[in-house]
Amino acid sequence: MSLPQPPGDDGAAKSPGPAAGAETVAASSGPQAKKQPPPEKPSDVRRRSRIILSFWLIVLCLGLPIWWQTTSIYRADLPLHEMLEWADGKACRPVFPLRINIQADSLQDQEAQNLLRLTQHALDDLNDFSGHHLRLQLSPPPGHPPESSDRESALTIRLVPGDTATASLDPHEPVLDITYPPNAIPTATSSSSSLATYVAGQLRSTFAEEQATISYLLSTSSMPSESRPLGLSPESAESLAKRATRSLKYAPTYHLTFSLFTSGPLPSSWDIGAAIADYMKPVLTVLSPIHNFTIDTQVQLYATPGVPNEVLNKEDLSSFVNAAEWPLSPSIGGAPTINFVVFVGNQTIAGERAESEHANTGESAAHSWLIPQWGTIYLLPLPDGTAHLSSAALKQPLLTFTSHLLSLLGAPRSGSLPLRLSTLGRIRSADLLLRASSTLGSLARLALALPSISIPSSVADGVSTTMLHLRRACETLGGAEGLAHARVAEAEAERAFFEKSMVGQLYFPDEHKIAVYLPLLGPVAVPLVMGLINELRAWRRRRRERRERGRGKKME
Amino acid sequence: MRQLCPALLLSLLSLCVFPPCAAASASAAADYHEQLVLRPLPLSALLASFNFRSNTTVSEFESGNFRFFPRSLGQILQHAGTRELHLRFSLGRWDAESWGSRPWDGAREGGTGVELWAWLDADTDQEADHKWLTLTNALSGLFCASLNFIDGTRTTRPVMSFEPEGDHPNTSAHSMQLLYGVLPHEVVCTENLTPFLKLLPCKGKAGIATLLDGHKLFDASFQSMAIDIRPVCPPGGECVLQIEQTIDMVLDIDRSKRPRDNPIPRSLGGHELLCDTSKPYHSHDTCFPADQDANQDWSLSQIFGKSMKGTCPLADPTVPPVCLQVPESRAVYTIDGAVEIKSRDSRCFQISPESDLELLLPPPGDEAQDGAAADILPPGTPPLYAERSFTGYGQERGGVQTILRNPSPDTEVEFVYMESLPWFMRIYLHTMEARIAGHPAPSPDNHPLIQQVYYRPALDRARGTQLEVRMRIPPAATVFLTYDFEKSILRYTEYPPDANRGFDVAAAVITILDPQRNGSGRFAAYTIRTTSLLCSLPTPDFSMPYNVIIFTSTAVALAFGGMFNIMVRRFVAADEGSEGGLGALRGKLLGRLGAVAGRFKGNQ
Repeated sequence: MSLPQPPGDDGAAKSPGPAAGAETVAASSGPQAKKQPPPEKPSDVRRRSRIILSFWLIVLCLGLPIWWQTTSIYRADLPLHEMLEWADGKACRPVFPLRINIQADSLQDQEAQNLLRLTQHALDDLNDFSGHHLRLQLSPPPGHPPESSDRESALTIRLVPGDTATASLDPHEPVLDITYPPNAIPTATSSSSSLATYVAGQLRSTFAEEQATISYLLSTSSMPSESRPLGLSPESAESLAKRATRSLKYAPTYHLTFSLFTSGPLPSSWDIGAAIADYMKPVLTVLSPIHNFTIDTQVQLYATPGVPNEVLNKEDLSSFVNAAEWPLSPSIGGAPTINFVVFVGNQTIAGERAESEHANTGESAAHSWLIPQWGTIYLLPLPDGTAHLSSAALKQPLLTFTSHLLSLLGAPRSGSLPLRLSTLGRIRSADLLLRASSTLGSLARLALALPSISIPSSVADGVSTTMLHLRRACETLGGAEGLAHARVAEAEAERAFFEKSMVGQLYFPDEHKIAVYLPLLGPVAVPLVMGLINELRAWRRRRRERRERGRGKKME
Repeated sequence: MRQLCPALLLSLLSLCVFPPCAAASASAAADYHEQLVLRPLPLSALLASFNFRSNTTVSEFESGNFRFFPRSLGQILQHAGTRELHLRFSLGRWDAESWGSRPWDGAREGGTGVELWAWLDADTDQEADHKWLTLTNALSGLFCASLNFIDGTRTTRPVMSFEPEGDHPNTSAHSMQLLYGVLPHEVVCTENLTPFLKLLPCKGKAGIATLLDGHKLFDASFQSMAIDIRPVCPPGGECVLQIEQTIDMVLDIDRSKRPRDNPIPRSLGGHELLCDTSKPYHSHDTCFPADQDANQDWSLSQIFGKSMKGTCPLADPTVPPVCLQVPESRAVYTIDGAVEIKSRDSRCFQISPESDLELLLPPPGDEAQDGAAADILPPGTPPLYAERSFTGYGQERGGVQTILRNPSPDTEVEFVYMESLPWFMRIYLHTMEARIAGHPAPSPDNHPLIQQVYYRPALDRARGTQLEVRMRIPPAATVFLTYDFEKSILRYTEYPPDANRGFDVAAAVITILDPQRNGSGRFAAYTIRTTSLLCSLPTPDFSMPYNVIIFTSTAVALAFGGMFNIMVRRFVAADEGSEGGLGALRGKLLGRLGAVAGRFKGNQ
């Protein structure tokens, strides 16, 4: 900028310069000889101030907001506080009220009511976990149409008079048959009864595993400690943890893949369709209210296992599946795949067995093992030259697969099948509820931790849908409706958390911003700021002069 | 008559050279079938055609029981509603001038890179697009290829060039949509062969598939891997879904015989050189290399690096696993126990499932020296030769010229020429012209070369150009098909890495229509893919955005600073203003120096 500075800017710099020949002569005689410019008109001074003021106004009122608007990252409003509350378990206390019908046709109504009251007392004394609550009720006498509450009952106790007190679970229906000796009926006045204690004890042992599982789920989540039960021994916690890691994530549909792998060219065909229909379909039919299953089968020859050893040690079992060569790719579509592999070869498992608690059938124990969240492998030794596997030869593998399927789905180990399945539904809804809540919490913490992450409105929508369904699931916990709501909530929470567009602008480093802004903002800002500073100085000097002038006038 | 001979031979050959193709529907009943056909070609090349075919009944397929049919692929087909699928992975160029007609009449061949076309079960275009997206993404994962990059700009819906190969019920024909996608830039390599072999029932562990090795396959002068899935309904039987996997490779015998641990070619000693002694300048110190046909001695393990390990026990035992097509006069040695089935010009070998097969072709005997053609079968003449190239220069416009030659002396050829061009090549359709070589003017109107044109113009960044031209070329004529195009300028982010290499333009597909279509003849008598082209677009300097930012910022800052200063500052005469800038600084410095010098003098 070769323009001369306005006068009076730089009062100190009055030294001579070689600007012109005439000036050097004048300058050599002293600084006093410097020619002063004529005084400025006040209107010019005012105009300059206005110009500078308007530039600054434009920059501050137009430039800055536009810049802010165009470069800011869209962050939809998330109900962070509520999300964290869900994650901390403050928004919902998972309570499973279980209705248990008592069917006592041989008892008088009064006697039955009395027994019910006593048993309920005994149960409440035994129970130390408020989340899991057993509520007894009398079932309507036979002949009456069942009410709606009847269908929701988890278990029916059928009291039948007999010689001694015995209890047995019906294998096909959720019914507990209890026989009682005739003298055990409590009288209307007695405050305790051996029969009531006995029934309460039986109920408690029936639901012990479910209670333990749910309390384990709660204890691993970040729920507050008051809703947690106290008594979980380390051993049982460990076995529950093992089971929890083994079971697959909940999905409405599972894809079952049955594969026959052979180390050589034979056998190349099997009667798997018939075998599944005979040995596995019954269980799949029972499971159908909770899960759908799709099935496919394949035959693969010349399969080399990942471990070449003839005798497999426990360490070899995990690397037995040759993931690089065996075509066990997961199915496309949303459903997770469970693999059931029959391997025909001469490998055997060393030692007595790998996972003894799965030895439902003693014979199969030495041949199969379960791979957590993946499936089962069954080693089938066959005489050389068998070209076809009949349905009968597949019986043992398929029975093993069936029992492993239940544990892969997370069903409890004890109890009759219908009871195990209804328990499975409750465990699943608790699990989904806790998962969805913790995903919400993670999302909230992520949004707090990364201020530069963008949050599209779809995430906010997902969060609100999740919370809506979570609330409904919490209200209807324990029933089929609660499971459905928990499922939707979990899916929505996952979708919101893994929103793709949130990752896009995560890394936009500050160096880039400097490289883009500096070339423009630097050269523009310097004249603006200098102009403002000069103007402020000039304004201060003018004020001082005016004051001095005013004082001078007063003095006169 | 002499000219007729090759044509006659060709028709004979096409019947007997690749019998599986002709007999595809007849042998559909067998569940699994594999065969390798070896055929020496001129210039010391060897064509190896691997063919694997397996069937599954439609009911088994729909119930999810897979035995020979690969489950991974079956699931994808079910999920994407695919009725018929064709997938090609190709590398190299088929040298039709010296190798003659193509294997399988070109039906199992694709252009360089990856080609995929499929008939999808869809009622609307949106549904078809959605299923196509599912299909390409799933196949991409299965075959480790970038098939997921087949997006809208690389997908076309051909109208005249393709017809379903399988038997589809008439009721479903209206709801089938054909989509065609091509990736010319894809480099086919071992990672695509491994999943290909995994689909076979015997993997690469037994049978002819043991000969397939990535080192040899991708070292070949030409190779094409094909997967064709189609429903086949034999008359009176249950419909089956057939998967046919084909690999054609042309190996350079000399190159393949080099040991793998020492692959660098060494020059031969003077006494080992084969010289053409008929040249007048041939003497003890000058040598003109003889035609390499004479060097056709090889063995299976030399060519493929290993011998064949037994046969696949699932394969149809009536089909011999290996066939060799050499003249009858040629001697062939095999291992003991191999049964040789001789037919005219073809020898097939049956072996027991456990024994290894080894073939050895000795150098041709002296009795064959009178004619070099006796060592190998003469290559057949294809019905059409095609080559395509760019014309023009500069970064703005260009042209494409395709030279199509009909070698037949008496029959005309009718074919469909299909181009699917990227959107950034905007063609000028009015410049498209076909002319016969030697005729300066375009062909007379009474016999037009171009019979029909189907053209779907490109939309920028949304879809590519689709051009299908049905043409008819008179006998013994060479036709130039030319058109011009304009290159568009891409956006900064649309350039791929290494943009200066150029952009691959997919091969043109030439489908020669079967003149006997009315009967039971196939739709396409022969298929040709031209080579792909490399189109160079104007590429910017990729640091441009920062340069532009800095340049414009500087200009804006200069203009703003000047304007602002003019408006804000006061103008005074030069002698009235205060000192500023460098002059003031210099004056200050001089003053200080003078003061120091004065003090120094005073001290002295």
